[in-house]
Amino acid sequence: MSGTSITGKATEETLPAVMAGAAVLKTRKRTNRGPGIPLWAIVVFGVSAVYFLLPLYATAVFGFSTGKHFTLQPLWDGLSDSGFQTSLQLSLTYSVVTTVLALAVVAPTAYLVELRYQRLRSTVEFLTLLPFVIPPIIMVVGLENVYGVDSPVNLIASSWAPVLLIGGYFVLTLPFTFRAIDNALRAVDVRTLSEASASLGAGPVRTFLRVIVPSISVGLVSAALLAFTTAMGEFTLAALLGYPTFPVYLLNVNSFQPHMGEALVLVSFLITWAGVIALALVARKTPGTQVVRGALM
Amino acid sequence: MSRLELINVTKRFGDQVAVSDFSLTIEDGELVSFLGPSGCGKTTTLRMTAGFEAPDSGMVIVDGKDVTDLPPNKRGMGMVFQGYALFPNMTANENVEFGLAVRNAPVAERRARVAELLELFGLSHVGKSYPHQMSGGQQQRVALARAVAIQPGVLLLDEPLSAVDAKVREELRTEIRRMQVQLHITTILVTHDQSEALSISDRVVVMNRGAIEEVGTPTQIYSEPQSAFTAGFIGAMNEIPVRVVSGAAGLVQHGGRRVAVSGALGLADGQRGLLLIRPEQLEPVGSSNAALNGDLTLTGRVEVQTFLGATTRLLVRESAASSGDAPATRLLAVDVPSASAGRWPAGSQLEVRIPASSSRVIADRTTEGAVVDRSAVAVPIVPDLGV
Repeated sequence: MSGTSITGKATEETLPAVMAGAAVLKTRKRTNRGPGIPLWAIVVFGVSAVYFLLPLYATAVFGFSTGKHFTLQPLWDGLSDSGFQTSLQLSLTYSVVTTVLALAVVAPTAYLVELRYQRLRSTVEFLTLLPFVIPPIIMVVGLENVYGVDSPVNLIASSWAPVLLIGGYFVLTLPFTFRAIDNALRAVDVRTLSEASASLGAGPVRTFLRVIVPSISVGLVSAALLAFTTAMGEFTLAALLGYPTFPVYLLNVNSFQPHMGEALVLVSFLITWAGVIALALVARKTPGTQVVRGALM
Repeated sequence: MSRLELINVTKRFGDQVAVSDFSLTIEDGELVSFLGPSGCGKTTTLRMTAGFEAPDSGMVIVDGKDVTDLPPNKRGMGMVFQGYALFPNMTANENVEFGLAVRNAPVAERRARVAELLELFGLSHVGKSYPHQMSGGQQQRVALARAVAIQPGVLLLDEPLSAVDAKVREELRTEIRRMQVQLHITTILVTHDQSEALSISDRVVVMNRGAIEEVGTPTQIYSEPQSAFTAGFIGAMNEIPVRVVSGAAGLVQHGGRRVAVSGALGLADGQRGLLLIRPEQLEPVGSSNAALNGDLTLTGRVEVQTFLGATTRLLVRESAASSGDAPATRLLAVDVPSASAGRWPAGSQLEVRIPASSSRVIADRTTEGAVVDRSAVAVPIVPDLGV
């Protein structure tokens, strides 16, 4: 009986205390997390962060060591390797050319589709999605058949050969560039802006360059970014067409000098990120983009 | 600054005739409104004038020169769009300057012209603002300044005020008229707002189903509409069915009673017609004026009173005895000064007279099988206020 009463007493005393404690805990948790960020979001963020950062960490640990000790020697070796410099230069050149080509072809095409040839939209969308359906390996086989040594148009053995690689890169970037630009075009009233420009006496080219391009600058920047990174990281086409681009070089180095290879992987990662941040900063400073940001806020 | 002629312009979209056989001459410096319900072809006509749509047949002529096949950027017409269509990446200054830059005008001249126009539209302080930093009214003023900067021969305004709020709309329309007169620009204004069309136009073109219903000065269109469509579209109008007794003598009959209207009718004896009279022209009998001999009077019961400010509108159900119909279903709108509206509460009897001088009779085209949308020409029904 007494035991019961003690238990009862204890319950009476502890319950409010526990509840108060829980309340304190709750408030603390809330203040710690800040308002409006639910627990599941933090968990997802944490898991993703580990998923993305762990390989980078492992790469760094491996790249900056000779097996046992931390050293930057593999990095210095890599950076001073002539193969690194030539392959990076090659990749940068091809990627820049691909990016310029992609913007120069896709932007006017998407503009014309939006403005005048709406009924061609589904066809163009389908064409731009083809690289997802046809893998690069198939593209290489096709290119070698059409432009190879047995073909009357033998580009592969000529000095025009880089055209094949850049053409291939261009096709691979289509799904990203077309979508980025098309979304931007759909967000502005292309037809009315074009008509307003025409009524002021501007021809189609001036209208496109002076009115449409600045209005879709954010889309163009993302398209450029996607085209550039796709071309920079492309391996299959370059390897099979025999171009020692940066990814091809990295693979070779990795086979023979793994520590140096991993150190250079980190370098390439940093280069890509520097590019991404630079483009994002450019986009922020473009006046037309303020409208987009205003709309988002 | 230019004389604009549209000659037999026709446009079809698939099977649909958007504009049919449209002919109109707009004189130098004239402001003409295209007025009509949505889908009447007014915007399509404007777009054909601008060159954004190619007519299937017909010609667009500016100062005697055929421009039908010229692209829009070669026509030298300024246009203001419904949603402003300012270039989002350019400041107000740059927007206004754009057309001058296209024409390769010297920089100093451009700057001076831009400053002058921003001044004219009271925009000097927003010159360096981007469109998203301006109010709707300011944006529309910039759009106007941009359109007139190129000194267009013809200025085309496509519902320019529909996107701004009511108060700004009234200010802007006065401003448009002031600017148009000052710069003497031949102008077409497309609108579905009758008060806008009536208040600032030299002439109004009433359009219906792709064709011109009527062309006239605002006063003519309001006071002497030639068709039931115009009568119904412009303001509130009572339509009282009559039968012509003598077209030559101007004698008609309604509900078995004869009434003389002013002048000959141009209608055949025995033909059905519609006597048109505005709510403010119907005079309640027994207030100060007695029914004069020869005037037609109508009687009925007041159903609803609607306060409109200076006047109050009474909706009166005409009695069977008055109309000669059984049962009577016609509602008459009668405007009385609000000060005396208390005399006719809902449910009370009212007798109104139709002064012969202010009534007009037109042919009742519905009975001849003509295409007139009856729903569009009925007296606008005032919402039931639960009185």
